[in-house]
Amino acid sequence: MTLRIYVVDNGGQWTHREWRMLRYLKVDTKIVPNTTPLEQLDVDGLVLSGGAPRISGEGIPMGESAHYVEDASFPILGICLGCQFIAQQLGGTAVSATTAEFGKTECIVDDPNELLAGLPSRFTVWESHNDEIVQLPPDLALLAHSENCGVQAIAHRRRPLFGTQFHPEVEHTEHGREIFENFLRVCRG
Amino acid sequence: MFDAVEFEQEATAALREQLDGPAVIALSGGVDSTVAAVLAHKAAPTALTAVFVDTGYMRKDESARIRAMLEPLGMQLRIVDAAARFYAQLAGVTDPEVKRKRIGATFIEVFAAVAAEIDAKVLVQGTIAPDWIESGGGLRDTIKSHHNVGGLPADLGRLRLVEPLRDLYKDEVRTLARHLKLPNAERQPFPGPGLAIRVLGEATPKRTATVREAVAIVEEEFEAAAGRKEMELPWQYFAALLPVRTVGVHGDLRAYGEVIVVRAVQSLDGMTAAYSKIPHSVLERISIRITNSLRHDVNRVVFDVTNKPPGTIEWE
Repeated sequence: MTLRIYVVDNGGQWTHREWRMLRYLKVDTKIVPNTTPLEQLDVDGLVLSGGAPRISGEGIPMGESAHYVEDASFPILGICLGCQFIAQQLGGTAVSATTAEFGKTECIVDDPNELLAGLPSRFTVWESHNDEIVQLPPDLALLAHSENCGVQAIAHRRRPLFGTQFHPEVEHTEHGREIFENFLRVCRG
Repeated sequence: MFDAVEFEQEATAALREQLDGPAVIALSGGVDSTVAAVLAHKAAPTALTAVFVDTGYMRKDESARIRAMLEPLGMQLRIVDAAARFYAQLAGVTDPEVKRKRIGATFIEVFAAVAAEIDAKVLVQGTIAPDWIESGGGLRDTIKSHHNVGGLPADLGRLRLVEPLRDLYKDEVRTLARHLKLPNAERQPFPGPGLAIRVLGEATPKRTATVREAVAIVEEEFEAAAGRKEMELPWQYFAALLPVRTVGVHGDLRAYGEVIVVRAVQSLDGMTAAYSKIPHSVLERISIRITNSLRHDVNRVVFDVTNKPPGTIEWE
């Protein structure tokens, strides 16, 4: 069975790169606007892309994303802004980062969970974020951190919701394809 | 993985539908536009005119090299020398976005004039994914207006755009170019606005000549060092001229000239890039050659150690 996983576009530089990663993994995929109603998403999983909007700003244009995070029955992987949004929507806090991270960073795994399963305990990831999660709600588990950012990866304790602050879709991130493969495994159920 | 055979079939089938009359192909000699042109030529060979524009912002000997490369491809080829027009459009311009938009608009004027002559209503471009991604729109911020997307005027008049490579990145276009046996499959990326965006500040003919020579030195030295196995050839490598003057000493006399920055990156798709770890002996040779041969204009050379992000590959 071919998996169908769409990419929700929040205006990221690498949204299309997420689409390419999914295509290379033989997934039936397309990029959809974040205003797409949840009822129209007949999918096995969803990727919430990063984007230019700042989570620390007012009235950010996240469209229907809150609805996806609250009500979707399928797995969701939030990346960068998408990850921050999941945490904030579920009661956590994301603010302007004390130290922003751009480009190369080392990701340190605290709890591999399903998302980071099979990966080394430390690996190189690439980042591009001005904001960061500073507090997780009780429902979200911390999977990884970096020197300058306390939350690099998250997973919901009961639902198939995941997030990475770093960008597993870009070429310079190590093990990015494996992270997507792990997410696909969850989507396959 | 990317399947060049499948892509070629799908793209030429789509192009046969889209090219329903005479069309102009924007052809820079780079791998993207050459692949787009060859696909279009395969789909509808009789009604196409490929247009190569010499903007005056080309690299050393580039126009002649490109002409020699393009002629054997068997397309109807038109070469337009528009250097004076481009220089006039960029006189007094220092803002990189204004530069890019004026360049985009001037390209379109040239293509529209040829289109009018041959009654074409379609313009084929080799636009690839990073071009429209970085040009922004909607929720996406404008990082830089690529001349073939964000640099286009809002109204293209009677011209309709056809862009067969919109969803591809450079590595995929190269795979396609190798499959099509094109001679420029491995050519390093060169931006559409050319040297105009490697001259920070006003891109006058004189400052452009300076950066042209510096770019040639960087290319020669890196390619020679890679040939001697002293280093791997970077994905993209060039020089840019900075509008900053610094003090130096030339033969007991005070010198006060501008700065050349050397940039070299390793990348796959241009969307992330790591600065290349170039041996100091190679950088030193480049520094000596540039500061000696361009002594009237340049007296300092620096090397850029910024990744993308936060930098972009080009400086503007």
